Amino acid sequence: MGPLVINEIISENTNLLLAFFIGIAFGFVLEQGGFSSSRKLAGVFYGYDAVVLKVFFTGAVTAALGMLFMSLFGWLDLSLVYVNETYLTSAILGGIVMGAGFIMGGYCPGTSFCGAAIGKIDAMIFVIGLFIGVFIFAEGYPLWEGIFKANFMGYPKISEFLNISEGFFALILVIAAVTMFWGAEWAEKKFPREEY
Amino acid sequence: MKKLTFTPRMLLTTILLIMGVIIAAVPKNTTTPYKLSADQILDEIKSGTQYLEPEQIAQMLVEKDPYLQLIDTRPQSEFEKFNLNGAINIPIDNLLSTEYIEVFDQDVKLNVFYSNGSTQANEAWMLLRQLGYSNIYVLRGGLNYWAEAILNPTPPTGLSSNDEIARYNFRRAAGQTLGAEGLDSAPSEGNDVKTVKVPAPKPVGKKKKVAGGCS
Repeated sequence: MGPLVINEIISENTNLLLAFFIGIAFGFVLEQGGFSSSRKLAGVFYGYDAVVLKVFFTGAVTAALGMLFMSLFGWLDLSLVYVNETYLTSAILGGIVMGAGFIMGGYCPGTSFCGAAIGKIDAMIFVIGLFIGVFIFAEGYPLWEGIFKANFMGYPKISEFLNISEGFFALILVIAAVTMFWGAEWAEKKFPREEY
Repeated sequence: MKKLTFTPRMLLTTILLIMGVIIAAVPKNTTTPYKLSADQILDEIKSGTQYLEPEQIAQMLVEKDPYLQLIDTRPQSEFEKFNLNGAINIPIDNLLSTEYIEVFDQDVKLNVFYSNGSTQANEAWMLLRQLGYSNIYVLRGGLNYWAEAILNPTPPTGLSSNDEIARYNFRRAAGQTLGAEGLDSAPSEGNDVKTVKVPAPKPVGKKKKVAGGCS
């Protein structure tokens, strides 16, 4: 029964090896999906191309349904699955910084490496900028440690927060995703761009 | 009349919605947190693997085996009147209290439950076994049998086999050794009620810190 590493079905090293192959596959699929093009990525903000929204929500919905069904079949112990810690202030500020960087630079951290790997110069510049940001954050850490760690909320799940079952939240997520897919396709027709 | 065509988009939408409805309709606690199925527990009960004989425990006590952790499931008042040497008291009412998790969640020490008989100890054993803890055992017969077998063994009759005589000799020797310290009637004075310290037990997989995620 999963998770594989925690239940010692596979070792940490095997896990890293698997991560290596999954990472390569992920990068490949990302590139094939057009995620190495900053114009395509930025399209989600202007409505002419919603591939980012579609891919990430498909990912979220697939993972959510997959995990809940695996838990239902007794293949996965959800209580052992890692949940990201939530520092609310950091999450909001980080979201703003990340979003602004995404609109301006046309990449998010993962896709910038994808673009850089196939030789896109704008992606390489973005990666350099990313490292500058990492450096500033790390060196100036004492300055923003207070903000960084403010409003720690533990390891909450939205379903717990709203006091609904995980399955019901998954249904809401599916409905939201499907609605957004159809809305996004409508927007793509409404705000078309010939070449990008 | 226009024929309704089923596009891949509509197919995907339908499948996702159906799965969403199913998962929302399923009661939340269908997945059991128990690590062993009822069948597995029943198998262990049938084979009696949870029992340790009084002789084994007596020997470990005489040798001051640091891996032995005796756990008394009786109420505290009874525990204070009499307990086995080195035992800790976890009344069965408090068995699932979080302060004892560290006692159970390890794979170094042998946790041996005992009560007056063996019913209560068995209940504790079964519950914890079902929660997935290992290294837990039950003292066969409990304190009543302990008193009978170790502290006041019946002398063998003339017709006894060599095995029986050897067992009697062992029990008598153990009883004499433990009689002084085993009958710890005033634990407030005795310092050796506490267990021998062993290196901090390695937590088993269940509690391993989870790490990972994407950032």
